[in-house]
Amino acid sequence: MTVDTTSKAPKSRPSGWHLLLAPVALLFLLPFLQMFLASVSPADELLKFPPPIIPSRIDFSGFVTLFTESDALLWLGNTVLVATSAIVSHLLLCSLAGYGFARLAFRGRTVGIFMILATIMIPTQLLMIPTYLLFSRLRLIDSLGAAIVPWLSSAFGIFLMRQFFLSLPKELEESGLIDGANRWQVFSRIVLPLAKPALATLAIFTLLGSWNDLVWPLIAINNDHAFTLQLGLANFQGTRRTEWSLLMAGNVVATLPLILFFLIAQKQFVATMTLSGLKG
Amino acid sequence: MTTTELSPAATAPSGADQPDRSGRRHDRWRAALTGWLFAGPATLIVLGLSIFPAGWAFVLSLEKWNGFSPPEFVGGKNYSRLITDAEFADAVLHTIIYTAMFVPMSVLAGLFLAVALNRRIRFIGIYRTAIFVPFVASAAATGILSTYLFSPQYGLVNNVLQRLGLPAQGWLEDPAQAMVVIAIMSLWGQAAFTTVIYLAALQDVPGELIEAARVDGAGSWQTFWRVIWPQLRPVTVFVTIWQTIGAIQLFDLVYTTTRGGPLNATRTIVYFLWDKAFRSLDFGYGSAAAYVLFAITLLTTIGVVVYSRRKNMEAF
Amino acid sequence: MKRRITFSVVTALVTLGLAGLTACGSSGQGASSLDKDAKVSLTMWTGQTENSEKILEGLAAEFQKAHPNVSIDVSSGASSTDDLLQKLSAGFVGNSYPDISYAYGSWASELEASGRTLDITDRVAEPDVKWNEFPEGARLTARPTGKKTIGFPAIVDNLTLLYNKTVFDAAGVPYPTDQWTWDDLRAAAKKLTNPATSTYGYAYSVSGAENTVWKMWPQLWQNGGEILSPDQKTAAFDSDAGVKALTFLRDMAVTDKSVYLDQTDTKYEQLFRNNRIGMMASGPWVLYDLKTARTKYGVTLLPGTNGDHQTASGPDLWALFDHHDKNREYWAYEFANWLTSAAQDERWNVAVGNLPLRSSEVGSAAFKTQVKTYPGLDIMAANGANAKKVRPTVSGYVGLSQAIGAAISEVLQGRAEPKPALEKAATKANTALEAAR
Repeated sequence: MTVDTTSKAPKSRPSGWHLLLAPVALLFLLPFLQMFLASVSPADELLKFPPPIIPSRIDFSGFVTLFTESDALLWLGNTVLVATSAIVSHLLLCSLAGYGFARLAFRGRTVGIFMILATIMIPTQLLMIPTYLLFSRLRLIDSLGAAIVPWLSSAFGIFLMRQFFLSLPKELEESGLIDGANRWQVFSRIVLPLAKPALATLAIFTLLGSWNDLVWPLIAINNDHAFTLQLGLANFQGTRRTEWSLLMAGNVVATLPLILFFLIAQKQFVATMTLSGLKG
Repeated sequence: MTTTELSPAATAPSGADQPDRSGRRHDRWRAALTGWLFAGPATLIVLGLSIFPAGWAFVLSLEKWNGFSPPEFVGGKNYSRLITDAEFADAVLHTIIYTAMFVPMSVLAGLFLAVALNRRIRFIGIYRTAIFVPFVASAAATGILSTYLFSPQYGLVNNVLQRLGLPAQGWLEDPAQAMVVIAIMSLWGQAAFTTVIYLAALQDVPGELIEAARVDGAGSWQTFWRVIWPQLRPVTVFVTIWQTIGAIQLFDLVYTTTRGGPLNATRTIVYFLWDKAFRSLDFGYGSAAAYVLFAITLLTTIGVVVYSRRKNMEAF
Repeated sequence: MKRRITFSVVTALVTLGLAGLTACGSSGQGASSLDKDAKVSLTMWTGQTENSEKILEGLAAEFQKAHPNVSIDVSSGASSTDDLLQKLSAGFVGNSYPDISYAYGSWASELEASGRTLDITDRVAEPDVKWNEFPEGARLTARPTGKKTIGFPAIVDNLTLLYNKTVFDAAGVPYPTDQWTWDDLRAAAKKLTNPATSTYGYAYSVSGAENTVWKMWPQLWQNGGEILSPDQKTAAFDSDAGVKALTFLRDMAVTDKSVYLDQTDTKYEQLFRNNRIGMMASGPWVLYDLKTARTKYGVTLLPGTNGDHQTASGPDLWALFDHHDKNREYWAYEFANWLTSAAQDERWNVAVGNLPLRSSEVGSAAFKTQVKTYPGLDIMAANGANAKKVRPTVSGYVGLSQAIGAAISEVLQGRAEPKPALEKAATKANTALEAAR
């Protein structure tokens, strides 16, 4: 028998998948290990190439300086604010739009989805200057608003949700409609509960995108009270000189929350196949 | 969730899907209203924030502008210059090579990893999170790691090769290999993207369908291709389109690993236009390249969509 | 039909947007006559990282205390100096540019051509400014076309030869001296190179960026060559002097294989710190990291040709911008003048480890302290006198630099011969120079 992709492996027997997954996982953990080791390396070893893989001694001074001498906590707070607004707004607006584009037949639907897709086909590098103009007219430059507004919705979110809704079986909704529910009720009572994995996916990518966004805030925000964490970290990196120990410690501080969030959010990906298998 | 602003939609009966004999016009109008009440807000934000910049970039592509002085209108000159520019042709070629390597690999890797991670075994949360880690790392961090691994003189990979008695390679400093290294590193960095999406999509496959196939005596391989794979098509179209658009716009990793070198072997279209705009201070020319890129991407996307429609995949 | 309607709506929106956003530009009217006591707020973009940014903020605060009617908003403007370019472009289009901004010397003529800069030629001629204390290269860069003075020098530096004592000691090679010729450098590099330990005698950039280019200029000049023709209209680097300079580098890189060729400009300094590279041409900006990494290094002049040790310098500017407001103009100038005076410069440039801006600071106590911390800084400061020529400040220099940068990296990687490569680059450079005029 071939490897059973849909099996309900009895809990007693350890799965053969570990043999595959454990080494793969190790390979993917590499950058985090490297980043973490770098963050506790003494400054002189960070400045060398190739660096020693294991630092000769542990040095937490990067973290100490980061929290005592820079505004890292303020920046972290700003980033949390940006990411939270982005996620809330994305989950609401993109799931609505995704559903509309997937299931409702209306005028301008195809053109609409195509135009949304088209917006991401022009490389952002060249859109920075006009976007800056637009935002300065909206009086958003130099405030946290400049970092938040672009993340209220996205082509990615709309398109992702649309494709997810397309793959849901129509029958459930149809029976709802026959029972007299209107579109909104069908959406909120039948479709959304089914879309939890999709919503988790959207939340993960929105968090990641808004949390790590750098190129745009770099242009839009000067005021260091409105700095996001990535922006603050970028300021440790000069054209000619880089504050490596601060940067490495900052990278760890910036990355850990994302990894923890993912660890929690991935629980939404409950294997339904296994569940139904157990039921049957 | 805020429902108040949506109540008009809620009161509208679902006209869209049901054919009606009388008042078709009225129904259509109502369907449009319902549709746009759902889709409108998000669409408005996305389009509102990009139409002006895109239009401005287009106007710029018809001008000569160094970023400081007043721009000068030159019509189609930037575009005609692009056609004869051998550097641009090279950039297009490098982009195509990268896209052809990266997109299929990333879709297949995502599918494979998602299937592997879609089970209830111990440590599964840790395995999933591990895959996610490189995706969190910035392009700068991935770039630094790439140079640690693939430096010909000092890199870990050559070190291992030599221990195994194999010849050391030029990797990032060999014009023939540099793009392959970049493709591998992007695949490694972005595998989580396709994996997470497929993982979520797998949750939508109704268990009943799988059970039914089982009862019919299908093996797991057959069950996957006959039952699960068709359900994943809309999402496959999504990741293919998305990864293609992303691959065509490759920039960050090139910037952090090779800066377009060695000997321009990894200059992609976006690197080319960035270089023209911000290093040569020729924003008009850079914008023209951006619009050519836009056209290429649009045509590719339409190609994918038409293909999926023809195949009746109901994905677009 | 449906599609056409949508399209025309989009076109209309774009046109409206463009008109609306660009039309209502300069609305506020500035003061047309000077009133030194009127309230004035200035914006300054420094392009600096944390440390030096903080020092500048402190200095600005001090200036505001002395002049309570002036308020100066100091920010880095962008995370790196490179990114300032985008900010300034966006600022010019949107009429939201600063009063004072840090700027690379290579942007100077473009900035002047923008028509947004002030002209302070008359004011810096006043004797108490002591304009002549700035190095000549920096003064010329602040006056890119010879017509207007668009700002003050901000940072000056030049190329010296840095050598790694550990690498020299291991190979038993005597340290470089200020009497060295380029052939001495080549011979030493050959001895220092050791494939078994991946150690290289010398390092050179093949990124094709300005970093590749300006490190060849000293040799071109020492051989009697020039970058541009006397009328500044065509490239002249493909002369015999240029071919000689590039052939020398090619022989080291290709024949001797004694040069580490850095594709991205990011690794050679790290390798030098890690005792894998014996010598590199570089400037004061590397000293801080060398000290942190505890690398044993020495500094001397670049090797010479017939006793000529001239080097290249890279001055950056504090550019001053015009807002059609006499009061802002006055105070922007006053602040920049104050900031670049010897007393303040010691507390900024000298304090962060740069070279002093003015020749008068070299004897100061502050600088002497810095020399103790960063050995070699004094040699670098004295080497300023060897910066006899400046890189051209014509608009087309960027294009010229890219053309020759590509040529140098091809030749050093063995893909082209010096003479034809330089000739091809000169043709390209001429096109760029022509287009920029």
